[in-house]
Amino acid sequence: MEAAFIDQVIASRNGRPGALLAILEAVQNRHPQKYLPEATLRYIATAMKIPPARIYSVATFYALFNLKPQGEHTICICRGTACHTRGSRSLLESVRLDLGIGGGEDESPTSPDGKFTIRTVACFGQCALAPVVELDHRICGHVNERTLTREVAAIAEGHDR
Amino acid sequence: MTRILDINAFSEVRERGLAKLVPARARIAVGMGTCGRGNGAEGLYHAFAEQIDRGGADVSLASVGCLGPCSEEPLVSVRLPGRPLVILHRVQSSDVTRILHDVATGNVTPDLAYCKIEEWDHITSHIKYGAAWPELRNWDEVPFFRGQKKIVTRNCGFVDPDDLEEYMAVGGYQALYKVLIEGHPEAVIEQIKASKLRGRGGAGYLTGNKWEFLSKNKASQKYIICNADEGDPGAYMNRNEIESDPHSLIEGMIIGAYVMGATEGIVYVRAEYPLAVHRLERAIEQAREYGILGENILGRGFQFDISMVEGAGAFVCGEETALIASLEGMAGRPRPRPPFPAQKGLWGKPTNINNVETWYNIAPIVTKGAAWFTETGSTKSAGTKVFSLVGKVTNSGLVELPLGTPLKTLVYDIGEGGIAGKAIKAVQTGGPSGGCIPHEMFDTTVDYESLAQIGSIMGSGGMVVMDEDNCMVDVARFFIEFTHSESCGKCVPCRVGLDKALKILNSFTQGVATHEHFEVLEDLGRMIRDCSLCGLGQSAPNPVLTALRHFRHEFEDHIVARRCRAGVCEELVLSPCENSCPLHMNIPRFLQLYKEGKLDEAYESVVIDNPLPASTGRVCQHPCDNRCRRQTLDEAVNMRDVHRLIADSVFASDRYEELNARVVARRFQPSGRKIAVAGAGPAGLTAAYYLAMLGHDVTVYESKAEAGGMLRYVLPEYRLPKDVLRKEIQLIERMGVKFVFDTRVGFDLPLHELDDRYDAVFLSFGTWKESWVYLAGTELKGVWPALPFLEAVARQEEILLGRKVAIIGGGNAAIDSARTALRMGAEALIVYRRERKDMPAIEEETLAAEDEGAKILFLAAPHRIIGTPDGHVKALEVVKTKLGEYDSSGRRKPVPTGEIQRYECDSVILAVGEAVDMDLLQASGLKISEQKTIEIDRYSMETSRPRFFAGGDVVSGASNLSNAMGYGKKAARNIDERLMGVRRWAKLFPEFEYAQEAPVQPSESRRHHPSQLPAHERVKGVEEVVIGLTPEEAHEEACRCLRCDVKAVGGR
Amino acid sequence: MAQKKISIRIDGELVGATEGMTILEAAEGAGKEIPTLCHMDGLTAVGACRLCVVEVAGIGRLLPACTTPAQDGMSVTTVSAQLTRYRRMVIELLLVERNHVCSVCVSNGHCELQSLAKSLGVSSVRYPYNYPRLPVDLSHTRFVLDHNRCVLCTRCVRVCAEVEGAHVWEVTNRGIKCRITSEMNQPWGSASSCTNCGKCVQSCPTGALIEKGFAVEEMTKRHENISALALAKGARP
Repeated sequence: MEAAFIDQVIASRNGRPGALLAILEAVQNRHPQKYLPEATLRYIATAMKIPPARIYSVATFYALFNLKPQGEHTICICRGTACHTRGSRSLLESVRLDLGIGGGEDESPTSPDGKFTIRTVACFGQCALAPVVELDHRICGHVNERTLTREVAAIAEGHDR
Repeated sequence: MTRILDINAFSEVRERGLAKLVPARARIAVGMGTCGRGNGAEGLYHAFAEQIDRGGADVSLASVGCLGPCSEEPLVSVRLPGRPLVILHRVQSSDVTRILHDVATGNVTPDLAYCKIEEWDHITSHIKYGAAWPELRNWDEVPFFRGQKKIVTRNCGFVDPDDLEEYMAVGGYQALYKVLIEGHPEAVIEQIKASKLRGRGGAGYLTGNKWEFLSKNKASQKYIICNADEGDPGAYMNRNEIESDPHSLIEGMIIGAYVMGATEGIVYVRAEYPLAVHRLERAIEQAREYGILGENILGRGFQFDISMVEGAGAFVCGEETALIASLEGMAGRPRPRPPFPAQKGLWGKPTNINNVETWYNIAPIVTKGAAWFTETGSTKSAGTKVFSLVGKVTNSGLVELPLGTPLKTLVYDIGEGGIAGKAIKAVQTGGPSGGCIPHEMFDTTVDYESLAQIGSIMGSGGMVVMDEDNCMVDVARFFIEFTHSESCGKCVPCRVGLDKALKILNSFTQGVATHEHFEVLEDLGRMIRDCSLCGLGQSAPNPVLTALRHFRHEFEDHIVARRCRAGVCEELVLSPCENSCPLHMNIPRFLQLYKEGKLDEAYESVVIDNPLPASTGRVCQHPCDNRCRRQTLDEAVNMRDVHRLIADSVFASDRYEELNARVVARRFQPSGRKIAVAGAGPAGLTAAYYLAMLGHDVTVYESKAEAGGMLRYVLPEYRLPKDVLRKEIQLIERMGVKFVFDTRVGFDLPLHELDDRYDAVFLSFGTWKESWVYLAGTELKGVWPALPFLEAVARQEEILLGRKVAIIGGGNAAIDSARTALRMGAEALIVYRRERKDMPAIEEETLAAEDEGAKILFLAAPHRIIGTPDGHVKALEVVKTKLGEYDSSGRRKPVPTGEIQRYECDSVILAVGEAVDMDLLQASGLKISEQKTIEIDRYSMETSRPRFFAGGDVVSGASNLSNAMGYGKKAARNIDERLMGVRRWAKLFPEFEYAQEAPVQPSESRRHHPSQLPAHERVKGVEEVVIGLTPEEAHEEACRCLRCDVKAVGGR
Repeated sequence: MAQKKISIRIDGELVGATEGMTILEAAEGAGKEIPTLCHMDGLTAVGACRLCVVEVAGIGRLLPACTTPAQDGMSVTTVSAQLTRYRRMVIELLLVERNHVCSVCVSNGHCELQSLAKSLGVSSVRYPYNYPRLPVDLSHTRFVLDHNRCVLCTRCVRVCAEVEGAHVWEVTNRGIKCRITSEMNQPWGSASSCTNCGKCVQSCPTGALIEKGFAVEEMTKRHENISALALAKGARP
């Protein structure tokens, strides 16, 4: 991760409200595996004169920040109320099974081959399209097990629809 | 663009905007909110752009926000000069060509038209489009829009959110200009106070007071913040407001900053709303370019700017002190209040935080005044609120209603009730901070106070509708799971308390909790509510406490009966079909066995779960169909007809005797206990069957000459041939059950005698009394109550039926009567007071009746029967009804209109319902329920008389075959447990060998329907109408089953 | 700062206080004990443990005495059946959250959690224990962090940040997953910002942060001098 990029992001935001969040988001997005390595966090802490413990506390508090490398593709299942009433839980379980990803707390949310990471979001705010799944930043509505399997397979085969 | 420094520039920009909004040529605007895009609006927009370009049409194309009815997306509005704005719904790219063609010829596309808007009140201005097309309904005539008042969402779906000039065209920034020119901030604050506007984020604090407090603070650096961290799952009002009309937010904030003396504004918006973030960013940029943000705003010397901060996925940051901590670069953990942000907020400076929607109300109040604002809403809750109506409701979307509107208006009038005709069970308001409101309480008005009174809150305005397929225990667990994972962890009650509460709720969903857990859970809930540091913890127990209050029986079902009736809690459900079957037949098992070609085992599997499969296979009302997961792919598996074929095949084969002998051989050793069953209907037969199998000495007393109850004496021959029924009952006889006919329990045989002679008694005499209907003329000759009519037919008695028969009612008895009348050579007219979808009769039966020539008159209630001078039926007068308010059954009540119609007929059959014989009930001395049936303990099924149990229609009221049998089966289990003191039930059921895998490639075939006799053939006689599936078809059906009973390895 | 005198009523008794004092300070000044755990004189009050909740007349909800400013004319109830029940429940919840096994703990007999349980009459716990698997960090040359005994009072975090200024400790994650971590969640011994001052150990109310070389029941702590130091420094922001 180039120090120059981080410096520039910090310079543009430092001192503003919400600076740290914006900086961490920008730096994470820049990383090809969409996460914040420890060295990067230390660098930011030093540059912004923030105690490293505080940066670490922020990075682990917010769900958006990843401290581990993410898979090539992200499948994000909405677990909001409307989606839940329309079966998003079983959708989550089935895609986890398909990709060999456990749901336990200490288990990795990324498939063994590094291709897919499964995340959940509390609510996308797309309730009329329930159940909602976001595949690599593309929102898909009215998803069922069959359509989800199809979409995931398409991505796996490299055909980005 | 123009930097606006004076009134001339202001007007100039406004005019430019108007020229775009209401141009001299046609304008097509595509709804491009996230919902629209999720439904293909982007592709639609490009299709329009491309075709307009190619065809050189003189049409301006715009992208606008969302009008609200999300289930109608994609929405396109079409405006021809001088004509009303027409909203087209569910538009596909394939419609683009003809829409453009219609526009070119000055027409509207009628089949896509949702409604028209002839004029629109933007509150800050008024636009008249024009009057035309009387055949199109006005927007406020659409059920979804009726009653809505759009103040907050006044511009959503009309203006291009990316164009400041269009915002000004509808009066935008005029309120700001007025405030800056008048230069009296205190006056504006007085106005906001007088308007009684309350914070729309959920807490409902008086906005005017908050503003005054901050304005009085003399500090030089003050902040105002817009809380756009809309985290409530199921709520997306703020997202739409910002996506569709970002400038309203900006205007509200600048006005607020000016009157409170702030120089910096921040909008804290969720990262999960990328489009909203983008639109707002664009809007802020534009505002700066036009001189509306920054230095010297509108040339009035005021300086103010807004920056945006994106959240990072923490629901708790919606709490104001947590939001501030987040802005300060720390973890978003709330801080104790006092001090309040207005005293010490962001970086210790005075700060005012308001929710998005609160800011949207500012410009309207400034424009039209406080008195105008208080005209809407209720005394304590002025104004409107935007709600997100989602979940199991027909019309979902964003709705803006005056506060104080009753919940039922929202759910039934605007939402138009449940989906697929399902009854609505509850509405969850206020997200994870709110509560579950049962449908009996839908008269509650929606405002801050009334919802708080019943233990819920309005919160941000999320309204999630739930029906019978939602389990309230699961819902409570879902919300605690949410708040538990979003808890910041700072305070003990929330951090640990919610963890414990979640574990207890998990034990409820798994069916292993005990009664003590109720108290522990409620106690814990109250403590978390009273002791938590912030609003998250303080309100997190609300969903659980309200669910316990209003849906306690669901919790009890889970732990006492170990059943989840909604079919949601995995540990308690074998498969959705099994769960919905009143007999809890292991349906996947018999399907799999049949698929593997093991007919013998398939039969045994069926008959060990259900002693009358040939009957149920013909006439069961198949609740399994409604829950079958295969529906999500194409249609439900036809389980009913497969198990019928299994029974029929065995009956016709030479295996029948041997297979029955095998079942009988499963009988337990004689227990030495004697049990009497009163009534040889399905409930009694089923109970007798299982009790005999358990080794008891069972005697069934029956008032009529043969066994079968309504199966024998009411259901017509063409639906259930009596020789099939007789053959079926043989199995029960072989189990050792003794029958005593022509004996009426309670009359010929008093209850106390049964008490002396038997160790337990099961009462299942059913509902054989016709419900009373007040109708003049029922004493005339030719009037038949349905049951005696059908019974007479079943007994093959001589009946003098006329040639033109009117049948009153909409249930199975009405349909049976009508179809029987047709077979007797008469014409049949069914008269029903509600609509087709409300009919309780099985749908296939109704369609079959119509195929055979019956006519149905809907929305008609009987008025009187007219007779000839010698007392014979001559005609039936009916009064047309219309549907009024929703009643507790979730259907609209029929209300008589004045219109009377008359039908010539010579017979009338009354099929309005059956009830329990009250004389018999009262003579029995048993406790009678409110519904005038025998009252039993919900779980043991015992009546008020010890060792007397009851089940079937006599307990539930008139119901159906499988429900009655379900009662009989449960009663047998309960009686056996009571008499023997141990649980032996599970030992009755053998193990079967069959594949335990879900099919990787289930059959792609569509559902098979059993073949039937052609309609014109049927009415010639009483031959069985439904012939059934062929073995090949049944095999294919079995292959369609997804094997939901096979659970994933490793548990959930 | 203005030293305006005010008076408030505590459990019916009229008590004199100074403007700017919290209810807790006013109560302590009048010799009234309110149970606390996350509070430590000199450190920023956070109102996290909720043990000090009191009833204030006219206010619908319970308020934490350690952060709520005393206002002239306030009427406060510090002891009632409900308050005692709720305080007991706080202790119960803490006891089941992690692994508090007194009999093998170096702070046995000198532990604030234990004393609170005794004084509030917690004799049994109604909830099932979580039994989380938590580590013990022995990497530091002089001190030990045993997560099993931690109650997340955050005194260590505050004393290190506000008094020593090293800011070694912070709370990581959220909800039930919260943990005290040093620097970038690394072994304490490798945290270069730690000055080995031991203030966190002395401030810790339980046997979570302890000194090496003490056997069961031997670990005693004193934080009064640290509080005095903090107050003198005016360390509280």
